[in-house]
Amino acid sequence: MSDLRRVLCVEDDPDIRMIIEFSLATVGGLEVCLCAGGQLALKQAPVFLPDLVLLDVMMPGLNGPETLAALRLLPCMQGVPIVFMTAKAMPDEVEELLQYGATGVIVKPFDPMTLPQNIRIYWEHGRDICADL
Amino acid sequence: MNSSVLRVLVADDMAISRLPLCAMVSALGHEVISVEGGAAAVEQVVHHAPDLLLLDLWMPDMDGFEVIGQVRSAVTHRWLPVIVISSLEGDEHFIEALRRGADDYLSRPINPALLEAKLRHYARVLGLQSERQRLDRMKDEFLATVSHELRTPLTSILGALGLLASGAAGALPKAALPLAEVAKRNGERLSHLIDDILDLTKLEGNKMVLQLRRCSLEALLGEAVAANQAYAERAGVRLQTDLATSTPEARLDPERFLQIMANLLSNAIKHSAAGDVVMVKLLVKGAQLQVLVQDRGPGIDPQFRQKMFEKFSQADSSDRRAQGGTGLGLYITRILVERMGGRVWVDSVHGQGATFGVEFSTADSDAMTPDSPQPRACLLYIDSDVDARARVAQWLQPLCSVVGVGDLQQARSELTRTGGLIVLADPQAQGAAEPFCAALKNVAQGRAVLLYSDAIDDAFASRMGLTWLRKSATSWSVLLAAVRNALETTSMENQR
Repeated sequence: MSDLRRVLCVEDDPDIRMIIEFSLATVGGLEVCLCAGGQLALKQAPVFLPDLVLLDVMMPGLNGPETLAALRLLPCMQGVPIVFMTAKAMPDEVEELLQYGATGVIVKPFDPMTLPQNIRIYWEHGRDICADL
Repeated sequence: MNSSVLRVLVADDMAISRLPLCAMVSALGHEVISVEGGAAAVEQVVHHAPDLLLLDLWMPDMDGFEVIGQVRSAVTHRWLPVIVISSLEGDEHFIEALRRGADDYLSRPINPALLEAKLRHYARVLGLQSERQRLDRMKDEFLATVSHELRTPLTSILGALGLLASGAAGALPKAALPLAEVAKRNGERLSHLIDDILDLTKLEGNKMVLQLRRCSLEALLGEAVAANQAYAERAGVRLQTDLATSTPEARLDPERFLQIMANLLSNAIKHSAAGDVVMVKLLVKGAQLQVLVQDRGPGIDPQFRQKMFEKFSQADSSDRRAQGGTGLGLYITRILVERMGGRVWVDSVHGQGATFGVEFSTADSDAMTPDSPQPRACLLYIDSDVDARARVAQWLQPLCSVVGVGDLQQARSELTRTGGLIVLADPQAQGAAEPFCAALKNVAQGRAVLLYSDAIDDAFASRMGLTWLRKSATSWSVLLAAVRNALETTSMENQR
């Protein structure tokens, strides 16, 4: 893992997907793969080989924590940081999400201008954790 | 509860007066349970949750005054009307009973019409009360859902506006930029309002969980100032600090402390003119830590000062329009500070700025919260019935802290978070009991599990290999003993 380049983003709301794509690709210069749901993300991950996954929490079908658990089973996802996005911003809810094994939590609404920097911080943090293991 | 039929407990040692009273109550269409003594009355109140108690004041084993006291301390999560009955002349004993917590009285011989009128009255009041509780719950859930649902479109709106205003989608025409900024700023305001409403709902519904730990205020204040720097710069206001160093730690929730500071700082910045300074000070006063936020704004009208920490209070509606704000920030601040055992105040001379202060005890002086060497044992209680959760929390309060959750999913996360030692659960309304118990054992990961339910039987409990207490037949003392036993076993195993 030399640099953060590819981000897989799982979000059911098409408008938010567009904002994320704009933010990460146009502002952040990252390569983005957008998925509308958890099932699709499970198919895309082994092909796209993301450096980081940005994952919505409340989605129809597989929800965020379920998708996270399923992604973690894929060999290509070992050591790849997964960051939740949620509109539930209470500290105890954030704490709860971290316990599912996420590297971080991005609270909605987020600032699209700083989102690339913020996920880079989580990516570095996730990489440090893996280096410690 | 059917709103017109009451479950009435009649407590009277004399069959000659008890039986006719029971017959009267029954004839009025209510359900009757009767007992012959005070101790039995307390027992029944706990087990069978009557809606109303008709209590003879003079019984040989325990007099009515004593019964009232015990009933009041056993039933704290709801209101149980108690009507005392006596054949004594004069009003003194009734006055005494009302003073001790009775709600009403009847003299013997009982006038059936008066009894009927009183029961009808209490049925109506209880009906209104349970309706209000239901509406309160609905309101809480509705607000939480609405707040959550509002944030999703707001994410797109604010995201799109942020990208437009920053020129990420190409430079905007000169005249369009201020418009995008107006829209973005107001979207952010809306977002804060939603946060405040959600906080308010949680605080008032007593659902906010504070994560108290030892913290350095020095470090947290540095963080708070940094987090509000951008807002201050936009307003042309300088944030300065004067912080005592090597201060003792305080015991608080760091996230919530930052929220308190964000409220006080944004308030001070909002009321400052461009070029002003907002000063943040940290002082040690004996065993107290004081944080002061001082501005040089217009100050606060003395008349308003008294109510500024109340809900929806702003100096006047023109102020609301000029400054923007919800009128909730200082109220939420006060509630949060108080929940963490501190206090908040304001000093101001009209026309010469304002100083907001918050004060917390240092962690070492705080005798109320025992520190980490002897943490209070924690029990996790899974039950879909909110009232049962409140009751059990109350019952077990002398022994351990109780974290109540509605289902297994919450149980899983709460168990990790709270480090609960044992698990109490009612499989009722959790789907089929057998898979629930299997999953429960999985979640408990070797912790002692007690089933507390009316929905299962001995055979089921022994098939699952779990201890079972019948909910309706387990008294306070029996539950307490069972939990104490499980806790002791657990702590012995942990020592080994």
